[in-house]
Amino acid sequence: MSRPLARALLALPLALGVVTVIAWRPGRAIAQIDVRTIFLRDCAVCHGADGRGSPRGPSILTSGRAGVDFYLSTGRMPISKPTDAVERHQPKYDPATLRALVDYVASLPGFTGPDIPVVDIGHASLPRGGVLYRLNCAACHAWSGRGGALLHRESPPLDHATPTQIAEAMRVGPGNMPVFGEAAVDAKGLDDVAAYTREITRHPADRGGFPLWHLGPLPEGAVAVFLGLGILLALARVIGTRASEHREVPEAGST
Amino acid sequence: MTRAERLAAAAFIVSAATAIAVLVVYVQHPDPQWEGALLGIATLAFGAAFVIIANGLLPPGPAVEQRERFGADLDEREEVEEAFERIDVLSRRRFLLGTAGAAVVAFVGVAVWPLRSLGPRPGNALARTPWRNGLRVVNEAGAPVVASEVPLGGLVTVFPEGAVGSADGQAVLVRVEPQMLKLPAGRESWAPDGLLVYSKVCTHAGCPVGLYEARSHELLCPCHQSAFNVLDGAHPTAGPAARAQPQLPIQIASDGTLVALGDFSDPIGPGYWDRPDHSQ
Repeated sequence: MSRPLARALLALPLALGVVTVIAWRPGRAIAQIDVRTIFLRDCAVCHGADGRGSPRGPSILTSGRAGVDFYLSTGRMPISKPTDAVERHQPKYDPATLRALVDYVASLPGFTGPDIPVVDIGHASLPRGGVLYRLNCAACHAWSGRGGALLHRESPPLDHATPTQIAEAMRVGPGNMPVFGEAAVDAKGLDDVAAYTREITRHPADRGGFPLWHLGPLPEGAVAVFLGLGILLALARVIGTRASEHREVPEAGST
Repeated sequence: MTRAERLAAAAFIVSAATAIAVLVVYVQHPDPQWEGALLGIATLAFGAAFVIIANGLLPPGPAVEQRERFGADLDEREEVEEAFERIDVLSRRRFLLGTAGAAVVAFVGVAVWPLRSLGPRPGNALARTPWRNGLRVVNEAGAPVVASEVPLGGLVTVFPEGAVGSADGQAVLVRVEPQMLKLPAGRESWAPDGLLVYSKVCTHAGCPVGLYEARSHELLCPCHQSAFNVLDGAHPTAGPAARAQPQLPIQIASDGTLVALGDFSDPIGPGYWDRPDHSQ
């Protein structure tokens, strides 16, 4: 056997193998088993293997794909104990796993709820977004999107929320937040609010230079009164003191 | 030229230059912070120039002017006393009192009469809102609210049809689980499918009650933290508000839209002096 032929014979199965590996993609069945394992490990402890909830956690069957995606993509879920605060964290899963997990939860029997909104902030109207934001959002999340105090807990700042997450939160109403349905904000309105929120959190119009952490008009007024008026008073005193140095103090009883 | 003169002139020049710089910045590259800083320097320099002039150029004081003696001398005093005694005060007192009274009455009348300009009495205008039986419930865009578009836990700011943006007609629409409702007697039919409409004007100080905590079913007023439980007729659960938020009776029409069945259950907003009090 000549050496080129032997090489060719050796190379053929190798090449076939490479092609097979490249062409092989994890099938749906295999991916689902992985996701199912993750679901049972991270979610089912509280929400139940069927998603109906347990004494440790609520049902997730009515949260919709929007709700599942919101909680997972903002890192609010999973939490390690049911008593942990549900707060924004780095998401635990990479985007592909996250999508597969959302698909898996959505495939549970009896799953309903809003779908993930498709948000297009490129064609959104900022003025309309401002109107809707001030009417529906500003009461809790503050005019600046910095969030604020509520009765039982606080409403979170919006500066890290993506447009999709903002739209999801409005449709789902996570935690104590009310749901903003089609009657309150239509699909175009979701785009507008998401765009406006991004505008005020990413490019706030801080004309004074130092925004005072966007605490609002009361701290701004306090700074103006105490710092500004204080400086003016001190300045007035300096001017007055210097002026009297040049004058002779009239003698007492000179009338 | 003295040192003070030179200093004052320099301050004036600085003021003029920075003032022109404000204009240049304004025209060329508007930036409120630069404009503010330059305008500040211009005013400060202008003021400083006058301080320098006052301290360095004006004659130093104080200049003392002798005051004239107070009081009249003895002759003058006696003359006045005599003249005073000559006047017959008693015989003219009645006439004097009369004229004084007329002057007082005229003066008070003139002062009180313009109160009429405060306008006609409000009557029961404060107790009524634009809501009427049969008016449709619309959102801020004027679109009728369809019951199916308000999900459980949902919140919509609503207005009476034809009065979008009305200050006293604004209301909040929420949807709760119907079996959780504990509405006061007589309001059983006011919350079809768990849909509740309450006035958005706080009964404490009139702020918009726009915060809704869906899980605890509480409306919250941002001004003074009054909380109202929507399940039991929006009675206050915390904060300074003493009265419940008035509820609007509604029903779901055959086309799925929401229709008001009348005005609010009580006059909306904070109390006023002749507010009809038939709730408590």
